[in-house]
Amino acid sequence: MEKFKITFYPENKVVEVDKGSTLLSCAISAGIYINSSCGGDGVCGRCKVIVKKGSVLTQPTGRISQEERKKGYVLSCMSTVQGDADIEIPPESRLGLDRISVYTKAEEAEKGKSVIGEDIFIHSPLATKLFLELSVPNQADRISDLERLYREIGKIKEMPIMQTGLANIRRLGELLRSSDWKVTVTLGNRNGTTEVVLIEPRDTSAKNYGVAFDIGTTTLSGQLVDLNTKKVIGTKITYNKQATFGADIITRIIYAQKEDGLEVLHHAIIDGMNMIIKDLIDEHDVSLYAVNCCLCAGNTTMIHLLLRVDPTFIRRDPYVPTASFVPVIRAAEAGIKINPRGLLSCVPGVSSYVGGDITAGVLSCGMNTTEKLTLLIDIGTNGEIVLGNKDWLICAAASAGPAFEGSGVTCGMRAVKGAIQRVSINPKDFSVKCETIGNVSPAGICGSGYIDLLAELLKTRAIDKNGKFHSDKKNKRVRQGEQGMEFVVVYKEDFDLNLDIVITEADIENIKRAKAAIFSAASILVKHMELDFSKIDQIFVAGGLGTYLDMDKSIIIGLLPDIEKSKFSFIGNSSLVGARQALLSLDAFNKSQEIAKKMTYLELSVDAAYMDEYVAALFFPHTDKTRFPTVKI
Amino acid sequence: MLKELAQEKWSGKINSINIGATKEEGGSRTSVVKIGGQATLPFIFNDGDIPHRPVIAAEVWDIAPNDWSSTLNSELEDVYSDPVSWSKKLIDEFKVDLICLKLQGAHPDLGDRTPTQEVKLVKDIISNVGVPLIVIGCGDDSKDNLILPACTEATKGEKCLFGSAVQDNYKTLVAACQADGHNIIAESPIDINIAKQLNILIHEMGFGLDKIVINPTVGALGYGLEYAYSIMERARLAALTGDKMVAQPFICFSGPEAWRAKEAKASIEEHPEWGKELERGVIWEVLTSATFLQSGADILVMRHPKAISTVKGYITKLMEIK
Repeated sequence: MEKFKITFYPENKVVEVDKGSTLLSCAISAGIYINSSCGGDGVCGRCKVIVKKGSVLTQPTGRISQEERKKGYVLSCMSTVQGDADIEIPPESRLGLDRISVYTKAEEAEKGKSVIGEDIFIHSPLATKLFLELSVPNQADRISDLERLYREIGKIKEMPIMQTGLANIRRLGELLRSSDWKVTVTLGNRNGTTEVVLIEPRDTSAKNYGVAFDIGTTTLSGQLVDLNTKKVIGTKITYNKQATFGADIITRIIYAQKEDGLEVLHHAIIDGMNMIIKDLIDEHDVSLYAVNCCLCAGNTTMIHLLLRVDPTFIRRDPYVPTASFVPVIRAAEAGIKINPRGLLSCVPGVSSYVGGDITAGVLSCGMNTTEKLTLLIDIGTNGEIVLGNKDWLICAAASAGPAFEGSGVTCGMRAVKGAIQRVSINPKDFSVKCETIGNVSPAGICGSGYIDLLAELLKTRAIDKNGKFHSDKKNKRVRQGEQGMEFVVVYKEDFDLNLDIVITEADIENIKRAKAAIFSAASILVKHMELDFSKIDQIFVAGGLGTYLDMDKSIIIGLLPDIEKSKFSFIGNSSLVGARQALLSLDAFNKSQEIAKKMTYLELSVDAAYMDEYVAALFFPHTDKTRFPTVKI
Repeated sequence: MLKELAQEKWSGKINSINIGATKEEGGSRTSVVKIGGQATLPFIFNDGDIPHRPVIAAEVWDIAPNDWSSTLNSELEDVYSDPVSWSKKLIDEFKVDLICLKLQGAHPDLGDRTPTQEVKLVKDIISNVGVPLIVIGCGDDSKDNLILPACTEATKGEKCLFGSAVQDNYKTLVAACQADGHNIIAESPIDINIAKQLNILIHEMGFGLDKIVINPTVGALGYGLEYAYSIMERARLAALTGDKMVAQPFICFSGPEAWRAKEAKASIEEHPEWGKELERGVIWEVLTSATFLQSGADILVMRHPKAISTVKGYITKLMEIK
């Protein structure tokens, strides 16, 4: 087949591709990630690129305006290569994976806060290092090298079932003698047994690290942890590169069924994880070989894709996953680059649509140990709700979309430095005051920023309760934009930005749908147990929304139920915290298994009342105002 | 032995609305149509007051319809070209309570009639007929936002009923009706939540809840009729238990919906086993309309004179139970 050269700007990256390849797939092979919520079906219009030079065959689409067409804009998924070409990728089409712009230090909320305290679980990490000084064999003590090793381990730790792989046994005799019987063994907790994972000469026991991951549909968060001291060394967040293949899990599962689809999605995850690991160890001067284990919490689909297990059956009736409880495996088997003999473990999930991320969330907020009736609301692309206490747990999942994670909205971004997270609007002249994470100049808006912004737009009556802008001569910030009516949050001139930071009616619609999905799921779950919100003793709100969450404003927009504010706590990324706890403690990991087994799953899609509840929640704060008695807008 | 029927005690009631204004009231109508005010479910006279009977509005277009069934054409074709005679025929011969003028010809694809043309027509009808008027836009949002305010202004004081305000386009019409003292139709797509949301939105603009009529959107017999029924029933139950945001009278476009059904339109040649289309179409419109009377319709918009007469007789009989 004919090959052509495609050059992507401004990276100046050149790839050689077959004639007829889509520009979207060319960009991916050049390592450039482009927005594409629909997974390349030409529907979402987010993958626009500019053809600077060369020959490209593009299908007609209503997603490109006349003006854009003149400038050479095309949808990259609907355009195929016919010759050499120069392609520019405009900033709005980028998935924001640039390390500089998005890939900054994780803020407190992204890391998550532990509710129950770090010391509740016995310190017994997934991988332990022991320095051993073995006695030298002699006529009186002639047991084998391996038994000698076990004997020495047994003096320090109580470990009844031991196993060692053949590779380690083969090296053992020579290694013990050449290192003068002074070695460090790495022991791994592997499915109820203890494995000698690694034997190294000399004392390296001080250097024992692990990584905990929260693998979200939209976001990937990783944390490097010192397994000896339980200290968090560093945290990194990036977008899940799979977003190029669809915004939600269903589109991804469909993509996985395409030729090479599973392989491509699997690589998108592990590439992101390996990038985070590499950056964390480089930044903190940790050797790759000192990272001995990896513990992941993620939704069921993400865990399937991480392990390169076909997720097809997750979306086919009766929605059964291939595995919810994944045995501990070698990280290298899944393509994770840590110590080649290091281990990979996953927090167990409940069902196809309630994964280990929510089990980890329950673990970290401790709702499974308290008498108090607790509601956990995890605001992610897949919103998850858990209700219960130490005696029972019931959960539901709602497809909320990625709006609160800053994706699928015009100026959305992760809760990282530069994200607007607090907003106030002056009702007299509609002037806006913003506060960004890190108090730097604004780059975009994160989840808690959108919540603040919407509440303020409602309070100042800039929008109606359906989320549409009122025309008001006093409000100069409302204008007709390219995508309909919009409100200017920050003028570019004020901070020397490339573009104004705006919120459009379409953004508001996205956020409205997300909040409606979450609120109605919580409300159905509570009704299902014949309770109402007033009976709940405490509510934990989780998710990477920002470093803070204004509960009043979350209630004004109808995201959270209108009950006593003191009952709410915002706990950030609870899934990552739970993953870290399971990494640091076998006890915690075992608890997570208990939680997953105990939790009942309520399928909302078969609940006739859910759709009705959802439409009723598609209003600010809600169609039934009596459910939000304190909201005065 | 049970001596009395169990009685429901409702705490709420449906808003009363007057459509049309007489000379004394600042308009020029010879009659005023009063609807709403019920304190009970449809025709359950035992549980509460039903002050007004349901009314029938005849649908009249500004342009001659070219896709109506031959059954309708055989009765109305001679008046299609003149909406004033069309209106008069149905008022004089079939005693309809109101005229529902649909400005279909304003649609950019169906003639693109100008605001001036439509205003002239509305004024013609106002000066030639005495019954109150319902005016419905063409369904193209931006065009409706041009023609409807022109028509509300031209009929100021007549207390007409204008439609339709929808969730994504209600502000212009609400402001126009507010300024010129008309009532408004709030249309929602067979969804009680959206019906309520729209009423809240309209009310938040300062428009009186007692000047709104809900068009819940209905389907004809065989086309989701029972679904529309249950939505209307839910709204009524909510209103009667005190929810003021859904306590509005209903307008049901039973005629236009019935005549969309292929069972109403198809000729006997196409479906010999279905019987004569002349009777079939009328029966379809009558059954659809009768069902919505039982669901709580306050205004029925209808097309065929024979169906109108039949349903009118049916209403009289239902009201006699009292």
